[in-house]
Amino acid sequence: MSNLEDKLRYVIETLDIANVMMEPFINSLQKALKAAASELRAEGASILVKENDSGDLYFLLAIGEVADKLKGMKVPSGKGIAGFVFSSGQPIAVSDVSQEPTFYKEIDETTGYTTQTILATPLRHNEEIIGVLEFVNRVGSPPYEPFTSDEMDRASMFAEIIASLVNTYESLKTFYKFGEKLLENYDKKDFEEVRNWLSLIRSSPEHTQMLELSMLVRELSSQGEIEKQLCRDLLEVLLKYSKSKQSLF
Amino acid sequence: MNLFELSELVRLDESWKKCTGKGVCIAVIDSGIDASHPKLQGKVVESVEAIVEKDKIKILPSSFTDATGHGTACAGIIVSIAPDVKLHSIKVLGATGANDGRALLAGIEYAIRKRIRLINLSIGTTKPQYFAPLHDLLDKAYQAGCVIVAAANNLPYPSYPSVFSSSLISVRRSEETDPFKFGFHYGETIELTAPGVNINTTWLDGGYRKLTGNSFACPHIVGIIALLLEKFPDLTPFQVKTLLYSIARQNQAREREFI
Repeated sequence: MSNLEDKLRYVIETLDIANVMMEPFINSLQKALKAAASELRAEGASILVKENDSGDLYFLLAIGEVADKLKGMKVPSGKGIAGFVFSSGQPIAVSDVSQEPTFYKEIDETTGYTTQTILATPLRHNEEIIGVLEFVNRVGSPPYEPFTSDEMDRASMFAEIIASLVNTYESLKTFYKFGEKLLENYDKKDFEEVRNWLSLIRSSPEHTQMLELSMLVRELSSQGEIEKQLCRDLLEVLLKYSKSKQSLF
Repeated sequence: MNLFELSELVRLDESWKKCTGKGVCIAVIDSGIDASHPKLQGKVVESVEAIVEKDKIKILPSSFTDATGHGTACAGIIVSIAPDVKLHSIKVLGATGANDGRALLAGIEYAIRKRIRLINLSIGTTKPQYFAPLHDLLDKAYQAGCVIVAAANNLPYPSYPSVFSSSLISVRRSEETDPFKFGFHYGETIELTAPGVNINTTWLDGGYRKLTGNSFACPHIVGIIALLLEKFPDLTPFQVKTLLYSIARQNQAREREFI
């Protein structure tokens, strides 16, 4: 039991750290998306990411008028402008989609939004296209001025930064899901017992302290590149010293 | 006639601009072409599709439709310059297809095997595993006399095959609106520039769209080459590139004089 308990404790720690780490990535993505939309004077912007099993694209994050409705919605594989940009790797801007009644029908019908002009560029990480970055309409009232050639180039620069954040976020999410799946199996065996045990672990001072430490590192890292490097250097030195001495105190 | 004389002829005698692309076959490797569009009726002579069968890609006859509108948009641009060309739609992207580099390779291979003289490739792949096979295939195309025109990928990373500048013609968009006033970027991977901003072209359901992207600059150059191939049917890919360079240089010189 002790071995199993250790393993479970490790899973819980990993899960909670992954959870704690996911939040700042979503915040960073939100900030990057807002900055990009503001730079391009777009009313709305969204990040669509490939779903591994189906190949569909789902809205990971969106800003703008119908952002809440878009979150979690899906674009089937190969469909629409986003589907094409994803599979072709070519950025596209469309000036006047409102003239086309079939354009983006499913999404616009569900959200009640009217997409008039759109700019979509691929999100690429490690030579793989992992999703699509989309900008829709302009700030202000219609008719909207189409996205320009220069804005298309700037959008692909933002896509580079956003793709890197998306990749890290998705990796943490996979990690988190994997941990949850492991726990699900235990739950089936003896649900109540495991649940009580989990609650005990999560309320223990050791676990709280470890999460606090993770959050401290996270906060320090968010101050800037120098702070992040300094934090890493200090922790590495500390770890090396601690290992050599077995225990500091 | 040697290449120098040919270049001079094309520069001085602009009668090729009055050609219509008659007798020139063009493969559009894309998401398909909606052949029922009023502007494209009677122009699409073949439609095939890359299908995955038992983990192998096969090129099979397909309906004359388009999965996204992108291929139809490219076809519309080509026929706006060369209205009498014959289009072969090779669908490699879409809801049912493989949507990957394998389909792209199969599509190019099919066009070369059929010896289609001119190939429009407004798509590409960023996956390095396709670098070598694409390179081999483009060399085959060059040797077979097939001219491949690809949309450049002006993203902060390479896209294949548009970076293979020796064996194909790579195009990026410009704000220019006159298709005959195309230009070039000497010394860069991107060789030619052509109209690609707010291009009004054919779309699904008989409609039209105003589109921006290198995808739409590429078919402008394809249309221009179709006119040249009608006038000079025996041009090799090397000669086509040389002529385009010569015309682009003249266009840019005229522009400078105008300024």
